[in-house]
Amino acid sequence: MYKLFLTFRYLRKRRIAYFAIAAVMLCTAMVLIVMSVMGGFLDQLKTKARGLLGDVILDNRSYSGFPLYEEFIADVSAWPEVVKATPVIYAYGLLRFQGTSQTNTVQVVGLRLEDVYEVNAFRSSLYYETYYPGTTTLAEQRQPLIGFDLEQPPIPWRGEQGEVVGLGPRPVLPPPFQEALEKSWKAGLPEAEARAAEFAETLLAAGLPPIVGKYETVEALGPPELRGDPRPGLIIGRDIIARRLSDGRYERFWYTPRGCLVTLTLLPMSTTGTVDTPIKQPLRYVDDSRTGIFEIDSKHVYCDFTLLQKLLRMDAAERVDPATGDTVGQVPPRCSQIQMKIAPGVDARALTGRLAAHYHSLATDPRFAGRLDLNDIQLIRVIEAMTWEQSQAHIIAPVEKERQLVTILFGIISLVAAVLVLCILYMIVLQKTRDIGILKALGASSGGVALIFVIYGAAVGVVGSTLGSVGGYYFVRYINDIQDALTRLNPALQVWDRSVYSFDAIPNTVRTEDIVAVIAAAIAAATLGSVAAAWRAGAMEPVEAMRYE
Amino acid sequence: MNSPLLAAEGVHKTYVMGRARLQVLRGCDLRLEAGEFVAIMGKSGSGKSTLLHVLGALDVPQDGQVLFRGRPVFAPPRQRAFYATALDVLSRYERQRIALRRRAFGFVFQFYHLLPELDVLENVLLTRMVGTSVGGWFTARRAARQDALRILNRVGLGERLRHRPAELSGGERQRVAMARALVHRPEVLFADEPTGNLDATAGAELMRLLKDLHAEGQTIVMVTHDPSIADQADRVLRLEDGRLRAAAAR
Repeated sequence: MYKLFLTFRYLRKRRIAYFAIAAVMLCTAMVLIVMSVMGGFLDQLKTKARGLLGDVILDNRSYSGFPLYEEFIADVSAWPEVVKATPVIYAYGLLRFQGTSQTNTVQVVGLRLEDVYEVNAFRSSLYYETYYPGTTTLAEQRQPLIGFDLEQPPIPWRGEQGEVVGLGPRPVLPPPFQEALEKSWKAGLPEAEARAAEFAETLLAAGLPPIVGKYETVEALGPPELRGDPRPGLIIGRDIIARRLSDGRYERFWYTPRGCLVTLTLLPMSTTGTVDTPIKQPLRYVDDSRTGIFEIDSKHVYCDFTLLQKLLRMDAAERVDPATGDTVGQVPPRCSQIQMKIAPGVDARALTGRLAAHYHSLATDPRFAGRLDLNDIQLIRVIEAMTWEQSQAHIIAPVEKERQLVTILFGIISLVAAVLVLCILYMIVLQKTRDIGILKALGASSGGVALIFVIYGAAVGVVGSTLGSVGGYYFVRYINDIQDALTRLNPALQVWDRSVYSFDAIPNTVRTEDIVAVIAAAIAAATLGSVAAAWRAGAMEPVEAMRYE
Repeated sequence: MNSPLLAAEGVHKTYVMGRARLQVLRGCDLRLEAGEFVAIMGKSGSGKSTLLHVLGALDVPQDGQVLFRGRPVFAPPRQRAFYATALDVLSRYERQRIALRRRAFGFVFQFYHLLPELDVLENVLLTRMVGTSVGGWFTARRAARQDALRILNRVGLGERLRHRPAELSGGERQRVAMARALVHRPEVLFADEPTGNLDATAGAELMRLLKDLHAEGQTIVMVTHDPSIADQADRVLRLEDGRLRAAAAR
C-alpha cells in the first residue's frame, strides 16, 4: 500500500516531476501528430490513387498491348468473383489547345466510359458530370454555348465580387445541358451549391443557382446553341486545364471553356515495336477529372477506347506475310490493360494468380489456334495480374516508407523523454535517499522501494501520455484552423500550400490505434527510464541511506 | 535455560573506507530479556549506533550472530559475503530481517527521520502501510487509524494530526517518531540518542514516556552518551574498545 501512497504523494509534491510529465506529454503529442498527419496523408493518397483503378489490373507493361482481351473478359465474366471487367489502352501523346500555343505531353487513356463507371470511382472524379449528370460522353459532339432567354424578364447580373453590375437577360444552356442542370438543382446540387458557386461563371443570376463551369456565350444576344463540327470527346486531367490556387480552389484557364477544341498527337506502334507516322486527332474537351493525385491529374487525358485503339492501330487488321505480301489471317485487336471489379469479400491477391494463369492459358487454347503468331503469344505470356495496391506501389510505397521513417525518427527523439525521466527520477532518488533509509527501517523491502520508483515512472508516463494524447488529438483536429490562423498572421507561415499538395486540407484524423500505441510506448519508455533510479533506490542499505548527507 | 528475547554473540563490524579499516565492534555479546530497559553508553564514535543497527537488523555484521527468540537474524558468517550482494534480496534471512523490522522492532532516531511530505498522522500510519497490500489496507485502515490516533493522543499530539514535520518543534517531531515506532506494538523499541537533539524539558518528557512504556512491559534498547539519561534504564552497558561491559555502579 505504501508504494502507491508514496508514489502519488511524490507525484503531487515533487514539482520536478512536472518537467518529466511535460517532456512525456510533448513527445507523445509530437509522435501522435506526426503519425496522424502522415497516416492521413497516406490514407488519402491510397483513396485517391484508387479512384481510377479496378480492384485487380492485368497488364503486360508493353506499349504494344496484348490480344484476346474480349475473349478473356467473356471468360472471366462468368466467374462469380468477377463483377465487371473492361479493357483500357494507355499511350503517350501531345495535347494542344487550339488557338493557343499551349502544348502538354500527356498520357492518353482509352476507356469505355460506361464500363469504367462500373469498375471504379472515375465518375465521381468528373467535374461537369457531377453538375450535369449524363452529359459527359466521349462520343462525337459539338460545343455548347450559353444563350439568353429573351422572353423572361431581365435579372441582375453580378460581377466577380457578387456586386450587381446591371440588368440583363437570363442565361440558358442548350439541351441537354440546361435540363441536366435543372435536374441537379431540383435534386440539390451535389457537394452543395456553395461549392459549385466557387466555380460559377460571372453570369451568376440573382436568386438562381449558378450555371456551373466555364462556357462560351453566343456571339449575339440570342438562344443557346451548339457550335462547330462534331468531334469525339476528351476528358482532361484537372491540373492541365486549370491552375490550383493556394486556398485549394481551381482557376480555370481562359482558353478552356467546355467543348473547346484540342488536338491530340499520337505515335502509333506496331506489334513489333516499330513507330509509325504521328497522327493528329481533333477532339473536344468535355469534362475534367480530379483524382487528387497531382501526378495523375497533371498528365492524364481520357478518350474513347475504340477511337484510341484505331488511332494507335491496335484494332483488328489483316495479317500480312512480310516475305510474300499475302494476307495470311487477321491480327487480333489489342489493349494495354484490363481493369476489374471483384465481388465483395473476395481475396484480390489470391485471385490475381488465377487470372494471370487463365490469361496465359489462352496462348495455347485450341479455340484460338492459328489466330496468334509468336509475337502475340509472347505479349500474352508476360501479362501480370496485380491488385490496385500493387499497381500503385510506386506512389504509395515511398509515402509509406516516409511515414515509417518519420515515425521512427520522432520515436528516437522521444527517447529524450525517457532519458529525462531517468535523470529526474535519479535526482528524486538522491533527494529522497534518507526517506528510503527510513522506509527500509520500517520494514520496506528492496523490491518494494524499487517498485515505488517504477510505479512513479509509469505514473509519469500515464499522466504525460494522456495529456499529450489529448493535446495531440486536438492539435490534429484543428490543425487546419491553426494553419489558417498562422497564415492570416503572416502568409510566410503557411506550411500546407494547397497549390503544391494534392489535398485540400492537412489530414486531421487521429486513429484510435495510433493513440493506444503512442500511449503504450510512452508508458513503457517512462517506466524503462525509471528502472535505473529504482535499482539504485532498492539497492540502498538502510543505515547508509539514513546517514546520507 | 530459556533463550533471551534478543541476544548478540561475538558481533564484529568493520567499516572499510578506501584503504582504511575501522574496526568498530570486536566481539560484542548481549542478552536482553523481554521487558528489560537497557541503555548502551559509550564515547562518541565508539560504535553504539552501529551496535543498535546490528541488533535491530538494519545493518549486517561481518562476524557473529544476533538471535531473536533464539533464531539467527543473519546468514551464517561464511555465507554472509555472498548475501551482501544484490542477491541479498533473495535470501530468506533478508526476508526474515524485513519481517522483524515490520512487526517486532521499532526505531526512534536522534534526527527523527520523518517524511517531510507526510503529515503527522500519515507518518505514523506509514508503519502500518508497509507490508500491507492495497486490498488488505482497505480492511485494516480503520483499525490502523484508531491505533495511530491512540498513540498520538498518548504522546500529546492528538491535535496536530494534519501538521507537517516542518510545522512542529524538535520535541514534537521526536514524539511523532516515537508514535511511528510504537504504532505496530513492537516487541523491542530501539532508541538511538532519542534526547540528543532535544532541550532539557523535551528530553525529560520523552524519557518519562519511555519509562511509562517500560512500566507497561515494553522492551527498550537505548543508546545514549548522557549518563543521567542512561541511569533511568534497568541496566546500563558501556561500549569500550568494541566490546560491551556492564557499567560501573554510580
